[in-house]
Amino acid sequence: MSAAESSDESLLARYRSGDGPAFEILYARHRQGLYRFLLGLSGKAELAEEVYQDTWLSLIRSTSQPQGRANFRTWLYQIARNRLIDHWRKHGIHNPLHDSYDEQAHAVIDNAADPEQLLSLSRDGQRLETALQNLPADQREVFLLRAHGELDLPQIATLTETPLETVKSRLRYAQQKLRRLLAEEVLT
Amino acid sequence: MTDARPTPEDEMAKHFREHAAVEPPAHLDSFILAAAQREVPVRRPNLWQRWMQACQKPRWQVAFASLIGVALMLALVRPSPEQTPIYDFTPKASAPQAKKEYAEAPAAAARSLAAPAPAAPMADFAAPEQSEAFNAELAEEPKVSKRAAAPVKSLDDQLREVLRLQKTGHKQAADKLLADLHKRYPDENLTVRLKNLQKN
Repeated sequence: MSAAESSDESLLARYRSGDGPAFEILYARHRQGLYRFLLGLSGKAELAEEVYQDTWLSLIRSTSQPQGRANFRTWLYQIARNRLIDHWRKHGIHNPLHDSYDEQAHAVIDNAADPEQLLSLSRDGQRLETALQNLPADQREVFLLRAHGELDLPQIATLTETPLETVKSRLRYAQQKLRRLLAEEVLT
Repeated sequence: MTDARPTPEDEMAKHFREHAAVEPPAHLDSFILAAAQREVPVRRPNLWQRWMQACQKPRWQVAFASLIGVALMLALVRPSPEQTPIYDFTPKASAPQAKKEYAEAPAAAARSLAAPAPAAPMADFAAPEQSEAFNAELAEEPKVSKRAAAPVKSLDDQLREVLRLQKTGHKQAADKLLADLHKRYPDENLTVRLKNLQKN
């Protein structure tokens, strides 16, 4: 198996045993997704950059490995999420992820469930970002972990310490709202 | 686990993945990669490398040198065991030849008993045969074996053998055989007999 096809875990192990180029492959795989996750969750580029840098540096300097059933990807996003929560706590900022959001009360009947209708969604990056920021933080987090972290639902449930059914419903509501917001943007 | 079919949620996630424009800033990339290269964990040397590193440290060099010095001193001071002389009683003959000789030995003894008594006693005759075996490397190997197996020869025959050896260039073997004959036949003038045989 070539280095490019190696698993994240084996690349990390190789880096830890002194193989510098293994880290470059690992970094190239996850740099974009992790940055977009942090930017989407924090909503501030400066904060996202700071946490992004801290996350990678702590990974470089740490000797620990993903524990238990967690794979590298889950572990990386867990570190980043914890760093962001630490930053909010340190600066006395209220953690929006702790808000309990009543999805049922804010649910809007989704009439655009047809995948064909996705073609009419806005592709403008700024509009996507604005729509994302309109989501409640807990829905946004689940959606970002799915979209940019490419984690599956049980992994998201483990990472956020949330029941799987709650994760499913958050993702569903997030998707419905995003479709509505982006479609509206296109139509107006 | 999760359903493999794409759901509307997956389509939306894919839409965001494809059309989100943000990237981590280039300066962050270079900073993180530089930090990673700077802090690459040092490879743990294997046993041989660790041994070589240890050898390069002065205190280990002193320790090893002392150890070698003590070992050398012990080797020099320790009395060497007395060397017992090793006699090679076996003629330098190949295994089949030795076997043949062993098989023919009783026959040869019987023949010698039946033959007329030699000029010298039997014990005297046997000695040179043994001494020849000691110096087997001097004489030609096949000849020694033949002689051991051959019936008892007369003095003239043995002198002819000396002449033959001299002619064929085996001077050492010829001299040795002649010396043996001098010992065995002290009363005979071997030089004159040798000259007579040469003339004939």
